[in-house]
Amino acid sequence: MPPMALQPGFELGGPLGAVPERVWLALAVFVLAVVLAWLVVKINAGLLRRAGLPETIEGTAFERTVRGIGTSTVAILSQLSGWFIVILGAIVAISIAERSYAEQFWSQATGFFPSFFVAVLILIVGVIVGDKVELVLSERLRSVKLPQIGIVPTTAKYSVFYVAFVLALDQIGVATFALVVLLALYTLALVVFTVVAGKQLLTSAAAGLYLFLNEPYGIGDEVKIGDERGIVQEIDLFVTHIESDGEEYIVPNDRVFEGGIVIVHDG
Amino acid sequence: MSTPADLLDDLTADLDALFVFSPSSGFYDRFEDLDGEVVVIAPENVVDAETFVELPLEFENVRDRIKFGVEGAMDRGVVDDGDEVGCVVSVFDDHDSLVRVQADESMHSGVYDLFANSRADPGVIRDVFEVVIELGKKGQKGKPVGALFVIGDAGKVMNKSRPLSYNPFEKSHVHVGDPIVNVMLKEFSRLDGAFVISDSGKIVSAYRYLEPGAEGVDIPKGLGTRHMAGAAVTRATNATAIVLSESDGMVRAFKGGELILEIDPEDY
Repeated sequence: MPPMALQPGFELGGPLGAVPERVWLALAVFVLAVVLAWLVVKINAGLLRRAGLPETIEGTAFERTVRGIGTSTVAILSQLSGWFIVILGAIVAISIAERSYAEQFWSQATGFFPSFFVAVLILIVGVIVGDKVELVLSERLRSVKLPQIGIVPTTAKYSVFYVAFVLALDQIGVATFALVVLLALYTLALVVFTVVAGKQLLTSAAAGLYLFLNEPYGIGDEVKIGDERGIVQEIDLFVTHIESDGEEYIVPNDRVFEGGIVIVHDG
Repeated sequence: MSTPADLLDDLTADLDALFVFSPSSGFYDRFEDLDGEVVVIAPENVVDAETFVELPLEFENVRDRIKFGVEGAMDRGVVDDGDEVGCVVSVFDDHDSLVRVQADESMHSGVYDLFANSRADPGVIRDVFEVVIELGKKGQKGKPVGALFVIGDAGKVMNKSRPLSYNPFEKSHVHVGDPIVNVMLKEFSRLDGAFVISDSGKIVSAYRYLEPGAEGVDIPKGLGTRHMAGAAVTRATNATAIVLSESDGMVRAFKGGELILEIDPEDY
């Protein structure tokens, strides 16, 4: 049998043959990027779903809005990663096909491009987290029947939005110094107010923690804290309830440390 | 010619208030434009009703359910002594019956009082009821079990009792209603003695031997020492006692030394 001559490749005839090899390579890169993107979208969506994201963000304003336009947060987040890869593939492909063109235009754009995607991601995550914080807080505060309490969840939501916004702007290189200073001032004010207003509560809670861990006296013991003497009815983080002769004293726990306690044995 | 509606006219004539038990929001909408008082009685105020009485247990017995609602409404001054009340309740299907009752002292069984005006939080009493009902249904490993829970006024109760053995809840901070606690209480229910629970639901102790004076405690004859101890401690203190009987499997609640409520766990 005569040995068969193997053709190592094939030549394209006609007009297609005129297309330079570089362009085919670029096309292959782009197709590869699209396939990769499709895979990443599928895998990401699966991962996010398995991580329980849909249940966690259920009921947030963002999720409801995107549901309204016929998609879901999981789809948007996973497609974002897909688009990132597709556009990256397109840039690489173009730079392979037209080297000079790419150098002129894309050299700056490619540097900017990943940060832009990160910024968009931060914004979306920020909006969702803010919504979720508002939901959780208002759920927690529902038993508090005070109309003005509604401002707390809203403030928390916009604080999270603001942080996300500043982070996102910072990603794409916008000067955010003034905004960061504003954020720092806001945080400082919050901390100072909490400390000043809640000093008594904080010291009581610290003392209460000690009482919880060591339990120097328990429910049913007869004790004397300051001038009040009676039977301990209840101990919680902030206060101790002491009862004698139908009168119930509610003593803040920091008093226990200020004045000490007397435990009465067989009074 | 008369239709059933004509014959039943006197059932709905001159009602002072209408009580709707556990309505869905669609069903409640039909009552909103009604003249006169509409009171919603349900485990949760899902319809945002103006006057609402919380039902701590879905009483299987319709009489108990209605009594609880009427008592709650009377306690809040929504209806007065002698008012005629129509109750829309579910017996077999959703809201299939109308019961006309007169709100008066005879409706006063103390069940509402047991939940709303006890020393302990209503939620705590409800949680203990749930544990006891579950315990009564399943028992300990299939065998019937008895239990005694003393809720509220824990300081006084502790001073009127003594430990039978080491307290398994010493230095612990578990509350009834915590997820793991039901299992724990079930396990500890084989211990002798009473559980002591504080006003806020903290489990203070197990293994307590209650020793209040039992003079003047009047409970139905035939109930055992567990019931007697439970009733007596509620007379000597401001506590509420919930007892699961080992012999007949019934759950009974005592307050002020008196039997207030008796339910069969199998009904829930």
